Amino acid sequence: MSTEILLGAAYGVLLLGGALTLEWLSRHTHNRSQAFRTSGFDYDAQHDFWVCHQGEQLWPTEFDREKRLVRYRAKAAVCNACPAKKDCTDSHHGREITKALDPWPHSEAGRFHRGIAVMLTVLACFVLTVVLIRNHGPAALAVLGPLLLLALGMTWWLARDLLRTPTGFPEAKPAHGNRIEAK
Amino acid sequence: MEEKSVRRGFLLSKGWLQAVVIVMLLGFTVLGILAYRTYQEGAPVPVKVFDPEGQLLFDGDDISEGQQVFLHNGLMEYGSVFGHGAYLGPDYTADYLRRASNISIAEKGGPPVDEDGLEIEDSDPDPMPRADVARQETINEFRKNQFDEDSGELTFTQSQTDAFEKLIPYYTRFFSADNTENGLRKEAITDPEDLRNLTAFFAWTAWAAAAERPGKDYSYTNNWPPEPRVDNKPTADALVWSAISLIALLGGIGLLFGAFGRYRDLGWHGREQTVVAFRDPSKVQLTPGQKATAWFFFVMAALFLIQCFVGAAVQHYRAELTSFFGFDLAAVLPYNLLRTWHVQLSIFWVATSFVAAGIFLAPMIARKEPKGQGPLGYFLLIALAIVVFGTLIGSYLGIHGVLEDAATNWFGLQGFEYLDLARFWQVLLIVGLVVWVYMLFRVMRSRLKREHPGNMPWLFFLAACAIPAFYAVGLLARTADDFTITEFWRFWVVHLWVEDFLEIFTTVMVAYMFVLLGVVRERVALMVILLDIGLYSVGGVVGTMHHLYFSGTPAEHMALGAFFSAIEVVPLTFLTVEAWSFLQLGANQESKSESAFPHRWAVMFLVAVGFWNFLGAGVFGFLVNLPIVSYFEIGTALTANHAHAAMMGVYGMLAIGLSLFCLRYMIPSNKWPEKWAKVSFWGTNLGLAWMCFATLLPLGIMQLYKSVNDGYFEARQLDFLTDNTTEMIEWLRLPGDVVFIVFGAIPVLWMTFLGVKYTLARRKEDGGGDGDGDSDAELFTVISGPALEDEPPEFQSRTDPTPGT
Repeated sequence: MSTEILLGAAYGVLLLGGALTLEWLSRHTHNRSQAFRTSGFDYDAQHDFWVCHQGEQLWPTEFDREKRLVRYRAKAAVCNACPAKKDCTDSHHGREITKALDPWPHSEAGRFHRGIAVMLTVLACFVLTVVLIRNHGPAALAVLGPLLLLALGMTWWLARDLLRTPTGFPEAKPAHGNRIEAK
Repeated sequence: MEEKSVRRGFLLSKGWLQAVVIVMLLGFTVLGILAYRTYQEGAPVPVKVFDPEGQLLFDGDDISEGQQVFLHNGLMEYGSVFGHGAYLGPDYTADYLRRASNISIAEKGGPPVDEDGLEIEDSDPDPMPRADVARQETINEFRKNQFDEDSGELTFTQSQTDAFEKLIPYYTRFFSADNTENGLRKEAITDPEDLRNLTAFFAWTAWAAAAERPGKDYSYTNNWPPEPRVDNKPTADALVWSAISLIALLGGIGLLFGAFGRYRDLGWHGREQTVVAFRDPSKVQLTPGQKATAWFFFVMAALFLIQCFVGAAVQHYRAELTSFFGFDLAAVLPYNLLRTWHVQLSIFWVATSFVAAGIFLAPMIARKEPKGQGPLGYFLLIALAIVVFGTLIGSYLGIHGVLEDAATNWFGLQGFEYLDLARFWQVLLIVGLVVWVYMLFRVMRSRLKREHPGNMPWLFFLAACAIPAFYAVGLLARTADDFTITEFWRFWVVHLWVEDFLEIFTTVMVAYMFVLLGVVRERVALMVILLDIGLYSVGGVVGTMHHLYFSGTPAEHMALGAFFSAIEVVPLTFLTVEAWSFLQLGANQESKSESAFPHRWAVMFLVAVGFWNFLGAGVFGFLVNLPIVSYFEIGTALTANHAHAAMMGVYGMLAIGLSLFCLRYMIPSNKWPEKWAKVSFWGTNLGLAWMCFATLLPLGIMQLYKSVNDGYFEARQLDFLTDNTTEMIEWLRLPGDVVFIVFGAIPVLWMTFLGVKYTLARRKEDGGGDGDGDSDAELFTVISGPALEDEPPEFQSRTDPTPGT
């Protein structure tokens, strides 16, 4: 078996691994970024509310269907009297935080990373095909064939998800969602 | 009524400013000490070099002349010396060392060599009884340092003398060949004296690469290049500092993320923003200076496109060396000419965008623009165009031998990679950048008076001042000086100017854009900027030395360079993650503004900058950063991989992003080419990713393997680059290059053309002139909500909070 076949196969695997790593890294970065944005707040999943570092609860006030997010807000009177307000919010209506509903990737940045991942799998298909054509034979087919199928499968899976995922870009509209009665 | 000028206090605690100042002072103190050490302990250039009989072979002036022949003929854009330069031709240090040591071994009874100094392949060294002895004697001779520090004289052994005399004809044949088969023009260098001096220069670099430093058991270049024939192998320093820098990287990332996880007050996240309404970009009035930037961006895009085409031709040489689809390209545009254009244009077009963005933002910060800024802008543009096209034409004349000696140095090309431009153009460029700083100053003067020197307006101005100041350091690299010293100053520009000060200036600009858009508070942005300056300066300033592991500087340059450049990746990783939060705030996805966020694609290009900062500068950069890896890797495609991903990925994307931000206010909303912005975003990013992953990365890995397995000399030979598999890998990038040019660069040019077109139309509507008085600049955003004490004056006159949102 020629060295080129082995090199081609190894690089194809590397590219597919790179695509998966990028997927994981994007998700991880997004989650970390989300965590930073709500830094200082703890979420109670059972009762669906947040608690700020001063102990005040933030309850859901609005579900924005278009932007696929829920807004949570603390009581205005409490926030306005809070000594930590200066470092927390400018609003006189109480601190608000939001939680996106859609799973990753839901933002356009996520689509960008997904696009790069798709490119890596397409490149893997391309490299494997070129090496297969240059070294056609049973040995090459046995090594490169399954990898090519895997690369095609991954491309289809990632590309389909990319095309189905909305960009999530905010349109020029005010928020209009269902108000939720404050508790 | 006279307005009382009250200076605004510093928005953060003084500790922030003190920390940044201390970090920068410490960094530059260490760098100053290393500069002194470079002059004291750099590889010495002998006053005279004698043969064993006491006959003069060549002297220091010959070496210097040879160095200038090397530089002025653009050979650093063809091959390299001490590993630095271009990647098509060989590394001449390794090349000379291999051939000279072969000749020496052959003379002493080892395997015979051909007239080029290469071993004759059919010869079998084993049966030769003298082979091992010949090799050992060669090692002893080459490693023994016969340089007399007191007299400055060096004595070559007989074999070194013979090698020198035999290699003059070899290099004469190579550089004066009557064909373009190697990618150089026909008869590139024919003067016998030039060729002898050039060989003397190569001989000096090879001597410094093998002769042991006084009192040490390694050479002046820390035993680089790897060459068993002279017993050059990695030093203990290279191994130990590689391990330490790896630990520093992992520990640093852990510590930084740990600290930011623990102390929630650090960073700038978790704070709710006020309500903003983005002004329709068409309705934002532009000042004359801002309108002038339309032309800057058009020139930027044109230079970008030219750079792409030139790059494609450079790449074609690697895929098909002897012909460009049947045409002898090297006769007109030899490889080294195209490469120097490619490299210089990359700096020119990016710098043009940054300069223009600075001019565009300054009136927004000051809220007014003094009379005459428009004409000054056009004057600066013409000056920059003269520098750019003067440089390109000068390089052509220099490499084609039309200009000679001093004329080449002043008007042709100096020939240092990335500082190729001739001295006259270099000085003119610095003057142009000083004029640019003056333009910013005259706009911001009144604002600066009212601000604490630690606040954003001052940081914006000071960061701008650093750009001409640190670019001017490049003047200290003179073609006739010792090569080690020129390399030291060259990397002040290549690394410190680009990776530290351009980075800081762009961080200030991007942060300011978000502040002016009202989506990030000034205090928060200021924190990001100071964090950025502090973290980058911890690693980036002393980290400059990571370029100088093997350039003839002492071992402490390697130790400090490896350690500090490794921890440079820490802020890179951290700030990339932080940038996510910043961009999410910036894009304001959850905003309740009734007007659309106008900078969708500018922000997406910033997202791309974050991605490439992490991958291109962080991952690919670290891949080649450890001394032990760099020892085998330097000057291979892995370096090109890092350079493309970092330069285009970070600075290129940033330049395009900045241009889109500004163009958004020049092109009417109903004419805004949203589709082309999207196409260029995907075209540039996918094209660049394909370029790196299809060719540069795999080829670099193969070349590194070849270097470790067979030898560095072998990995840099044209035989390897024109190997069947290598050529296939070179061709693989073609689809990516096409995507990059057609769907990336061309749409950018089209959008900048629209910028010019609609700016001209707007000028006509405004009466055809730029007015004869000061112009007021309008903000991008209308902000609702209560004013805060620490907010900039432009946001103090805001409307009442919108009730019932």
